[in-house]
Amino acid sequence: MNSKKNTLTIENLSYAYENGDRKQKVLNDINATFESGKIYAIVGESGSGKTTFLSLISALDELQDGDIKYNNKSLRKITGQEFRLKYVNIVFQSYNLIKYMTAAENVEVASDFDNRKADPNKYLASVGITAEEGKRLVGRLSGGQQQRVAIARALASNSPIIMADEPTGNLDEDTEDKIIDIFRDLAHKDNKIVIIVTHSRQVAKRADKVLTLRRGHLA
Amino acid sequence: MFKNMLKRSWLSIKRKLGRTIILTLIFFMMANLVLAAFIIKSAVSAQMDYAKSNLGGTVSIQADMETIRDNQKEDIEKGGDPSEMFKNMARPSIDVKTANEIATSYTSYIKDYSYEVSASANSYNLEVVETKGPSMSGMGMPGGFGFGKESSDDDSTLDSDITISGINAYAYIDGVANETITIKEGEYFDEDSADAAMISYEFAELNSLKVGDTFKIKNIYTENSVKLTVIGIYDSSEARANANTIYMNTETAAKFLSTDDYNDGNYDVDNVNFYMTNSDLADEFVDKINTEFTELADENLKVAVDTSEYDRVASSIESVGGFANTILIIVIVAAVIIVTLIVSINVKDRRYEIGVLMSLGASKKNIIGQIITELLIVGTLGFVLASVTGTIFAGTLGNAILDSQTASSNEQSEKNFGRPGSMSGMPSPMGGSSSSRGSAPSMPDMSDDSNMKDIMKAGRDSEIVELDINARPEDYLLLFVTGYLVIILALIIPSVNIMRYQPKEILTGKE
Repeated sequence: MNSKKNTLTIENLSYAYENGDRKQKVLNDINATFESGKIYAIVGESGSGKTTFLSLISALDELQDGDIKYNNKSLRKITGQEFRLKYVNIVFQSYNLIKYMTAAENVEVASDFDNRKADPNKYLASVGITAEEGKRLVGRLSGGQQQRVAIARALASNSPIIMADEPTGNLDEDTEDKIIDIFRDLAHKDNKIVIIVTHSRQVAKRADKVLTLRRGHLA
Repeated sequence: MFKNMLKRSWLSIKRKLGRTIILTLIFFMMANLVLAAFIIKSAVSAQMDYAKSNLGGTVSIQADMETIRDNQKEDIEKGGDPSEMFKNMARPSIDVKTANEIATSYTSYIKDYSYEVSASANSYNLEVVETKGPSMSGMGMPGGFGFGKESSDDDSTLDSDITISGINAYAYIDGVANETITIKEGEYFDEDSADAAMISYEFAELNSLKVGDTFKIKNIYTENSVKLTVIGIYDSSEARANANTIYMNTETAAKFLSTDDYNDGNYDVDNVNFYMTNSDLADEFVDKINTEFTELADENLKVAVDTSEYDRVASSIESVGGFANTILIIVIVAAVIIVTLIVSINVKDRRYEIGVLMSLGASKKNIIGQIITELLIVGTLGFVLASVTGTIFAGTLGNAILDSQTASSNEQSEKNFGRPGSMSGMPSPMGGSSSSRGSAPSMPDMSDDSNMKDIMKAGRDSEIVELDINARPEDYLLLFVTGYLVIILALIIPSVNIMRYQPKEILTGKE
C-alpha cells in the first residue's frame, strides 16, 4: 500500500450559470481539502450544485473563479485534458461504457492515452468480474457488473483521484454494498482520493467524511 | 498511442458491422464511378492522341473554283465568248515535281502523300470486257467535270478502251480502301514496280493472262505500244466497276500520256493529298505551302484542309470525356455530402463514447484521428474492391456513352448530308474516285507499306465503336487520392462538431 499523502485542494471555488441577463451562482467561494486514503461523500439537495462541483474538480468543465490543485499543482497551469489524463477518473451513474467493446476492452481503453499497458483482467478481477465475463460485450452484463467494469476502468487509468457521480443510483441494495466496498478498498488499500457525489444514505454512512453542499457552500 | 487508436478503430469497424457495410458500399459505388471516370478520361485522351495522329487530316491541292468563276465572270463582262472560254479552259493542275517538292520539304508535317495519273489506252490485240452503263472508274478519267480542255489533243477523236489508273501505292485505290477490291492472284504493285500492271479477273480470263505474263497496249496519242507484266489479278465486288481498268504506278501510267502532257517527265498529277501527322499542324502546313509555293495561286489552285473526319470523331470522344468529367464532379460532390451526413450522424450517435474517451484523457485530435482511421480503413476496402470492378464498369459506362454520342453524331450527319457519319477512305477533294501515291524521292517512311495501310485503315475505321478501356496505374492512384480527399472533406463538419463537444455536457446528460 502506498501511504504517501496526496491532496486535492479546492481554493475559493465559485461558479455561476448565465441565466438571461443575470448570473446564477451555484458554487460560492468553496474551500476544501481531500486527502488520499479517504472516501468522501458529497451530499445535497437536487440543484445544490453537486454535479457542477464534480465537473469542476474532475476538469470536465472550465474554472471560472478559484483554483483546484493536486499536490499544489494548479489545474490552471495545465489543460483539462491533461488533468483528466494524469490525475482523475470518473465513474458515472449511467456507467458510460463503450457499447461495442467487451468488458476487458473497456478497461483496456483507460490506458490507451498514457502509453501504459494494463492487464484488464487484473482490474476486472479486483472488482469481481471473471475473465470469462470480461470477454462479453458490456451490453450483455447486468447493471451491477457494468458499474464494476466502470470502476475497473477507473482503476486501470491509474489516476490518484476517483470521482463518482451517483455510482449506485441504478443498483439494488446488495450490489450497492459491494460497490461501496470496492470504493472503500480503493481509498483505504490503494491510497486514492475517492469522492462520491450521492443521494444515498447508505453510501454516505460508509464514507469517511460527508460534506454537504447547501446554497453554494460546502460544509 | 497510434496502435491503440488503430485497435479501437478496428473494433468499431468489426463490431458495428451494419454501419461498416453501408459505408463500404457507399465508398465502393463512389470509387467505381470515380475510377470509371478516370479510366474513361484516360481512354478519351489516348483516343484523341490516336485520332490526331491517324486521322490527322488531309491537306489537298485543288482547283480554286471561286477564283475561276470570278475570272470567268470578269472575262464575260469584258465581252468574252462564254462557250469558247469554256472549251479552251484547262483544269488547274500541279506538276509532279512541285508535288514531290512540297512533300519532301515538310516531312515533319506529313506522314504520307498521294497523287494520281489518269490516262487511256488502246487494247491493241487484246479483248476488252464489255461494259454496261457508265463505269465507276471513268470518273477519274481525263477531261473530268467542269473543264473543256484537259489534254493538248482532242481525246474524243481517239480510240481508247482501256482505263489507266496510275497509282504508285495500291493502298490509295478507293476499292482497296473500302475493301471492294481484293487481290485474287499475284500481288499488289508498289512504286518500284516498273511496267507492272494489276488487271481485273475478267480481263485476265478473257485474254488468258496469268501472273507473270506480259501483254502490250497502245498509247492512244503516240500509238507506241507499252509492254506490261501482270503482277496481280484483282477481283472487284463493285457492280459498276470497269473491268478494263488497269492499275499501275504513276511512272508507268505516265507512259500513256501525250508527249505534251508527259512534259519530259514533269507531267501533271491529280488528287494531290498530303496526310498530316497531326491535325493540329494542318493550318501551319497550309500557311507554309502558300508562302513557299506562290505559283499554285497563279495556277488557280488552292490548298485546302480537311480535318472533318478527325473533327467528327473528336467531337464524339470529347463528349465522352466531358461526360466523364461531369460524372466525376457529381460523384465527388455527392460522395462528400453523403459521407459527411453519415459521419455526422455517426459522430452524434457516438457522443457518449467520445465523452468517455475525453473523460479518460483522450484529446479531441485523438478522437478525430480514430474516426479518420475508421473511414480510411473502410474507404480503402471500398476502393480496393472498386479497383477490381471499376475497369469493367468503366468499359460498360464509357462505351454506352460513346454509343449514345456516336448515334447522335450519325443522326446529325444523316440530317446534314443524307448519309451516316462513317465515311470510307480518305477524302478525294478533286472529285476523282481514286487517288495515287506519288513517287517519293527520299521521303522517310513513305515507302513503308504498313504506314499507308494504317492511314487507310484509320480512314475506314474512323468510327470509334469501342473505347480502349485499360486502367493505368495513374488511374488507381488518382482513385485513392480522390477517395481519401473525399473522406477528409467529409470529415470537416463532423470534426468541427467534435471540437465543440464539451465532455461535461455529454457525460452529465445536460446537452
